[in-house]
Amino acid sequence: MSSPTRRVALKVVGGTLGAGAFAYAARPFVQWASALSVDEVLRRHYKELTPDEMSQILRQLEADTKARYGADVHIEDLPPQEGVSFGYALNLSVCIGCRKCAEACHVENNHDRRTNNSYIRVLEMDQGSFDMERGQVDYDHAVPAPGKYYMPVQCHQCDNAPCVKVCPVEATWKEPDGVVVVDYNWCIGCRYCEAACPYHARRFNWQAPEIPADQINPDQGYLSNRIRPKGVVEKCTFCLHRTRRGQLPACLEACPTGARVFGNLLDPDSEIRWVLEHKRVYVLKEELGTRPRFFYFFDV
Amino acid sequence: MRVLALSFLALLAACGTDQPGRLRPPPGPPTGATTIHVPDRLTSIPTGEVDALGRPQRAPCVGCHSLRRPARLPSSVDELDEFHQGLRFVHGGVSCASCHVVGDQDVLHRADGTIIPMVDVLQLCAQCHGPQYRDYLHGAHGGMNGAWDLSSGDRVRNNCVDCHDPHQPAFQPSVPVLPPRDRGVLQGRGAR
Amino acid sequence: MSDHSPDPVDAIDLPRSPTPLPGHHITYLRFLGRGLRLAFTGSWRFYAWMSVLTAIGLVGLNAWGQQLLHGMQVTAMTDHVSWGLYIANFTFGVGLAAGAVMMVIPAYLYDDHDMHDVVIIGEILAVSAIVVCLGFVIVDMGRPDRLWHILPGIGRFHWPVSMLAWDVLVLNGYLLLNLHIVGYLIYMRYLGRRPARRFYLPFVFLSIVWAISIHTVTAFLYQGLGGRPFWNSALLAPRFIVTAFISGPAFVIVLLEVVRRYGGLRFGDGPIVTLSRVMRITVLLNLFMLGSELFTALYAGGAHATSVKYLFFGAHGKHALVPYIWTAVALNVASGVILLSSRSRTSRRWLLAACGCAFVGVYLEKGMGLIIPGFVPSTLHEVVEYTPTLTEWKISAGVWALGLLVLTVALKIGLAVWTGRMRDASTPAPQVAPVDDDAAAEPA
Repeated sequence: MSSPTRRVALKVVGGTLGAGAFAYAARPFVQWASALSVDEVLRRHYKELTPDEMSQILRQLEADTKARYGADVHIEDLPPQEGVSFGYALNLSVCIGCRKCAEACHVENNHDRRTNNSYIRVLEMDQGSFDMERGQVDYDHAVPAPGKYYMPVQCHQCDNAPCVKVCPVEATWKEPDGVVVVDYNWCIGCRYCEAACPYHARRFNWQAPEIPADQINPDQGYLSNRIRPKGVVEKCTFCLHRTRRGQLPACLEACPTGARVFGNLLDPDSEIRWVLEHKRVYVLKEELGTRPRFFYFFDV
Repeated sequence: MRVLALSFLALLAACGTDQPGRLRPPPGPPTGATTIHVPDRLTSIPTGEVDALGRPQRAPCVGCHSLRRPARLPSSVDELDEFHQGLRFVHGGVSCASCHVVGDQDVLHRADGTIIPMVDVLQLCAQCHGPQYRDYLHGAHGGMNGAWDLSSGDRVRNNCVDCHDPHQPAFQPSVPVLPPRDRGVLQGRGAR
Repeated sequence: MSDHSPDPVDAIDLPRSPTPLPGHHITYLRFLGRGLRLAFTGSWRFYAWMSVLTAIGLVGLNAWGQQLLHGMQVTAMTDHVSWGLYIANFTFGVGLAAGAVMMVIPAYLYDDHDMHDVVIIGEILAVSAIVVCLGFVIVDMGRPDRLWHILPGIGRFHWPVSMLAWDVLVLNGYLLLNLHIVGYLIYMRYLGRRPARRFYLPFVFLSIVWAISIHTVTAFLYQGLGGRPFWNSALLAPRFIVTAFISGPAFVIVLLEVVRRYGGLRFGDGPIVTLSRVMRITVLLNLFMLGSELFTALYAGGAHATSVKYLFFGAHGKHALVPYIWTAVALNVASGVILLSSRSRTSRRWLLAACGCAFVGVYLEKGMGLIIPGFVPSTLHEVVEYTPTLTEWKISAGVWALGLLVLTVALKIGLAVWTGRMRDASTPAPQVAPVDDDAAAEPA
């Protein structure tokens, strides 16, 4: 059929073409791989880092932020406090759905500016109905609208957190003070936690966040609001870079109706304890057994 | 097989090289101060004008009322003049005289006639809004800024009139901020 | 293709007389080398087939590179629909891998000798399908550079709590099991020795249990999520197994026909009859289970039925999946009708048509039809739809092409050994003369 020489020649041509095609096809892959640093790829899990290694990583992250975003930031890794267990309550009787909390979160936590990302999603609900099926999140009329009430939803920091259970690499866990955190340097981006969360509390970085340097909040935490890398999952941490220093979360301070109450569940004199003991309190989707630390209550 | 199983167990044992967990000491006794914010509207009023930098100008109450002491309180908002023109009043069945004292812009009076300074307006509101006052005292109404842990810093409580217009206390409709614009919404197949 | 050029490997002049056996690893290396050569030589049809697969694979590789470079914004996935085409394909692939065991069960548990002749094909299919699954998991990861985090003992393996950790374990275990079985049996045949039962039989029986486990674990991945009512059903795992025993046999029947035609393997009709009997049951069982799910959701109604309503009829004015699912239902019903009619027993063409319908039907139903409605509506009942982007299609095609490459090469080597065309120099020529087809294994 074909002479040996022709066959060899065809093979050589085919092989060369193939190699060329392979080199071309692999180009973006190589480009991606060459941008990775060995240090970064081999970095160990948060819980395995010695304090020295951690401070080195923090300085590195600060330098990276400067190089990439042009902002001088300070990143800390503040451990939890003994005798502190955070709880959060939200008064549905007074919330007006203005989304100021979502905005404060957006600013505080260095969210991507293009997508208006925020860890808080506010549902406009029908008065007299508890069916989220009839809720709406992208309302744009003046609020509060007649016949509506508003239910902001954010991470409930569940004590029996489905997201923590499903993570195959322990990249997300519950801290001693009750906050569920993500090690952005360990997450593999499988998004199983996003599928598992019943509260739509988790967000994935579909691209690297875009924030102008002058809008970056320089006060950052390793486990909370430092600018996240692309390809990992993030979530509300009750602003732990603030709350672990004794400060209130940003969403609470921004609320114009005082609907939010935050504090230490282990302190019997705390505001949050008073609410839990004296108000009509419920948790969202209690039937799922997630045991949230985020409570809704009504004025009575 | 046994070698396999053993090496697997050895691998599992290699996990858990965690550093000891770090915990900071618990919060100490409250040392921080809790103050109630005094909003500008208790001591001044917007003039509707702006200064050279575009900031709204406010006129202190005392600026006019030290010279001009009305002999009686108006019976309706229509009688108001100057900076008070256009004031909207929707607040149950109360009238101006229910709270204000004729001839003294710096004080208010309670139902029993006790005079209280204007900045203590909370006491005045508390007379009628008992449940809200109770909740406020327990930090469950009104909101705050600063520290949840008073051993680490101070706290500023919002004043009643920070959030509520005393003459029209119900929240007025406003346009919500930060509409969701995440993927899915951006793609034009957005959320309902 | 009329010229009878001998198999290129066989053309190598090797001494036929018994020679002192070189060291074992030398023999093994030579076996690998010959296998590798075989993988790169063949008829023009083989070259064309491999070139097409390689080209698709490269398109996929390029698209994956783009996805890594620019982030997963190049996909249509969102925080609402956080898994899409990749995980849909992954789920289907696990079913295919598990379904291949439908050849192993009759061959080893019921001593079906006809099936025993071709069982190696099922095992090779299992290996290739697992390669596809692992490929889809990797392209779905936001950070594949951190893949080592999921390695037991090296990273932080959240086992036994995370179902995904279980999945990593069972999928790779299944891969290793089948690689061992296939590799051992083929190598022994190459050497012309009787395989020692203790070296493969325990693994064969383990692989049967394991096959069920891979698909059960994959179902548990979804059905364990309380926040997703569409998946949170005890029927999911049984349905997965049943659909696996549709897609697996359907693919194998087609594959057997291809192998019969191009692979030079002679076998009776037994295997195909057995497999079509299996399908005759599983296709109906699947339709029954589907009906049961539909009844449960729709009769009671309420918010938990929204996903089902969305899937089948559309909800809140969105109905992207309606054509998918009705096509799937139509194909599944069609395959059931064909399989029940006597034509499927008398006509190979009708049987293949039934297999095609069943395969595509299950692919649609268990892929996009299962994964996407789990996310629609979202947990806060937002309805965000999902339609894969071109990049996702390219990457998915690339992963499938990779799987088919593995399947082709493994079949080519495996069948060459099985039919005696490739054997160790010291191995006596097989009793059955090798078939006269120069085109070696070439499923197309």
